[in-house]
Amino acid sequence: MAKNFLEAQDVCIVAYGETKIDRRTGKTAYELAAEVAEELFAKTNLAPGDIDGLSFTVPLSECANPFWSNYCADYLGIVPRWLQTTDIGGASAIGNVTRAAMALQNELCETAMLIGSDAPSSKWSAVYGSYRNEFWEPTGIQGPPGAFGLLMNRYRAQYELDFAGLGALAVAQRNGAAVNENAYERFRKKITVDDYLTSREVSTPLRLLDSVMFCDGANGLVMMKTDRARELGFENRVYPFAYSEITNFAGAEQTPDITETGFSVSGPDALAKAGMTPADISMFHPYDDFLIAVMLKLEQIGFCERGRGSQFLRDTDISPTGALPINTGGGQIGCGQPGLAGGGVNLVEAVRQLMGEAGERQVPDPANALVTGIGVIPYGRNWGTSNAMVLVK
Amino acid sequence: MNKPAPKPRPVPRPTANTQFFWDAAKRGKLALQYDPDADRYQFWPRAISTATGKRNLEWRETSGKGELYSYTVTHVPTAGFEERTPYVVGLIELDEKVRIIGNVLNVDPDALEIGMRVRVTFETMTDDIDYFAFEPDDG
Repeated sequence: MAKNFLEAQDVCIVAYGETKIDRRTGKTAYELAAEVAEELFAKTNLAPGDIDGLSFTVPLSECANPFWSNYCADYLGIVPRWLQTTDIGGASAIGNVTRAAMALQNELCETAMLIGSDAPSSKWSAVYGSYRNEFWEPTGIQGPPGAFGLLMNRYRAQYELDFAGLGALAVAQRNGAAVNENAYERFRKKITVDDYLTSREVSTPLRLLDSVMFCDGANGLVMMKTDRARELGFENRVYPFAYSEITNFAGAEQTPDITETGFSVSGPDALAKAGMTPADISMFHPYDDFLIAVMLKLEQIGFCERGRGSQFLRDTDISPTGALPINTGGGQIGCGQPGLAGGGVNLVEAVRQLMGEAGERQVPDPANALVTGIGVIPYGRNWGTSNAMVLVK
Repeated sequence: MNKPAPKPRPVPRPTANTQFFWDAAKRGKLALQYDPDADRYQFWPRAISTATGKRNLEWRETSGKGELYSYTVTHVPTAGFEERTPYVVGLIELDEKVRIIGNVLNVDPDALEIGMRVRVTFETMTDDIDYFAFEPDDG
């Protein structure tokens, strides 16, 4: 088995931050980064001059600037000795935890701030290149919903998809958003399975309530070596414990089974590195751009049999007090997706839960969390990057 | 989903590598890259074989036939598709064992079935570009 460079728990997360998620704020990703940085400075009693490691996700709203991370360091008054921008989309949040852990272990920096910030509902600057102009955009495919419509229909041709199971997930996540002050305000009301089943069709069989909505927002963490955290008096620590990542799964194949995703590799690999099985996981915080992505992860990480994901969701209590709590804060579908900072929504909720600060949605004494990320929609397959991280208390 | 705009349907801008594909389309042919070292086709066109890592690729005109691997009925149109909404976007597995995304035309969405046979057809976009689509192939 591959070496697990995180098993010694020699690096840790000491603080998390998150802005309110909102739509068309008129704010820039810089301004939202400043909001979450202020929260992280205040929580840790650190100042900009104390931070010597800095990472970002790429914002859809600022990606025309090839020097985003440098500009944002300047904006925040931080002088990093380790600086990283990660462009694996929604997989960047836990991807950056891993990259920061490596930087801390190798003493490139002592105190790392990890920021995800984006404002795609206020500003859009992405242009994709490659096959997109010639072979994607002229087909009229409705972007990610179109790609997931193709994926859902193919799944239905191979397996039984019980939409009531996806509906149960939609309901559970909205229940979380209803008690999450950071969720987009309009989403803070409960829905029923019937609301899901009758919501507007976007790219059949995919419906509106299968989908995230682009919003604006930011989230972040502060990480350091565990010894240093103890010295500085950070008693509430969360540890990245195992990680696995794969990009462009089946990318050289011309006719892969598109219902098979990179999580069939990275999910079991992350659990094996942690020495765990799915039964050991206290709670699951999966990246949720579309409901069926969560369902496919349940199958391919091993929480249920292949082809039985929707039945598992229908028959399992996934509430904070249930057998397998899932996206207790509402996830991105419940809270709104702050663009390519979206992976941080799931990650920050996992850290909040492990620190015991989730209020009325608190999972009773969770020992660990499994968090996932998804990045990028490729041509005619499922998604580009699939990564998974086990966090422990 | 977040940025519908009253713009025209995007027109492909051929590159040095893809010009053959669009020239063939103008002749009513679907061309694919063939890798003689790996004895396989690939789509979309690239300047390298994803099987061998070599740039030894040839263009071949094909029959343009295959079967519907999956499809989705689009209710929220992208630029230039407003008039034909709802419309079908298919993921077609060609007989040459590659997959290609294209509109499925001349069919009632309720009559679509995964696995059904389809054949290529073309829509004129500009003097230089005919864009590929698919329709039921009744043999």
